[in-house]
Amino acid sequence: MVETVTRKRIEILVDKPLAGVPIRAAADVGIAGYSLVPVQSGSGRHGNWRNDRISGAENKVLFLTIASEEKADALVDALAPKLDSHSLLLTVSDVQVVRGERF
Amino acid sequence: MDIVISTLTSPVILFFILGMLAAFARSDLAIPEAIAKGLSLYLMAAIGLKGGVAVSESGFTPELALAAVAGLALSFLIPYFAYALLTGFGKLDRVNAGAVSAHYGSVSVVTFVTASEIFTGQSMGPAGYMVAVLALMETPAIISGLMLARRGQKRDDNGNGGGLMHEVLLNASVVLLMGSFFIGLIAGPSGFEPIAPLFLVPFTGVLCFFLLDMGLVAARRLVEARAMTVRLTTLGIVFPLINGTIGTVLGTMIGLDVGSAAALGVLAASASYIAVPAAMRMALPEADPGLYLSMSLGVTFPFNIIFGIPLFAALAQAIG
Repeated sequence: MVETVTRKRIEILVDKPLAGVPIRAAADVGIAGYSLVPVQSGSGRHGNWRNDRISGAENKVLFLTIASEEKADALVDALAPKLDSHSLLLTVSDVQVVRGERF
Repeated sequence: MDIVISTLTSPVILFFILGMLAAFARSDLAIPEAIAKGLSLYLMAAIGLKGGVAVSESGFTPELALAAVAGLALSFLIPYFAYALLTGFGKLDRVNAGAVSAHYGSVSVVTFVTASEIFTGQSMGPAGYMVAVLALMETPAIISGLMLARRGQKRDDNGNGGGLMHEVLLNASVVLLMGSFFIGLIAGPSGFEPIAPLFLVPFTGVLCFFLLDMGLVAARRLVEARAMTVRLTTLGIVFPLINGTIGTVLGTMIGLDVGSAAALGVLAASASYIAVPAAMRMALPEADPGLYLSMSLGVTFPFNIIFGIPLFAALAQAIG
């Protein structure tokens, strides 16, 4: 049986032009690895949205990273003041990972 | 009156209206994204090339310099006028008014391309250098809009300063327009001749197809607009009327030919919905993108395509 350890998985839904905000915040707290996942459309507090292919201003991406609890807390603290102003949707969950030393 | 009727009955405009009607009727008509993107790149390359070739023939004239200065001044100053109306009549807050005002100072490439095509069909095609004026007018308004939105506030660009400047100065439309313009300028008429069949003959047909897509996009944006009020919709029509009149009169006063004066009016009347929204999202994340995209793309763009273009042409003819 392969041993697994618990780490934090952080997902942030962010407008594509603002994707640099979580990327820089993650780097500042020592999280170097991340993925940006394109998303097509959805619905939220402000109604429906979809990728705006003309300007790209409203296109959204999902910032995805896995980190230790300490780094995850630091990232959440760093982004908390920007959640409303930058329309960020941030979730943190526990995940089991193999090779825990990498995160 | 002739130009109004001939504009409204031209295939280019009729395809745009078809797209809008299809969207209002909730038809599933759609142009594949990659094709629409390819069409827009083709149109920008073609208009840039044609402008560059025209300037290589005419040379750098005083009118070119005057039009460039007039375009820069309009782009820089229109946001201040727009901001006053947006905060007063429109009842917008400082940040949203600044973001929207930047869109109205900047320009719409598609509106200009459509106007050029219509004017050329009326034997009043604008001078080739107007393409360079178009490119020059994209940026100053962004600076004005940011200054207005951040007036009296501590500057916080979210660490996006480099990305913003990159977006402002090297966005796809500026690079392709100016790049094609310089290629046309260097190649001249003889160099352009071998590639002319690709960039001249299919141009109007491609524009029809592209405007069909833009009609769909603009109408769907209008249907889905959540943040729009009657006051903002009114401003979306008042802005092009006033700005376009100022641009056309200014163009005539500085001695531009009728087509170029009307084109300057169209540029002043138009609002950006490609370069500026992305720049504003980066620089003013707290501004509502639904607001500025609905106004520029959902209201002002269709108004200019259907009514603004013939209106400013008629005005330029009347005073020119």
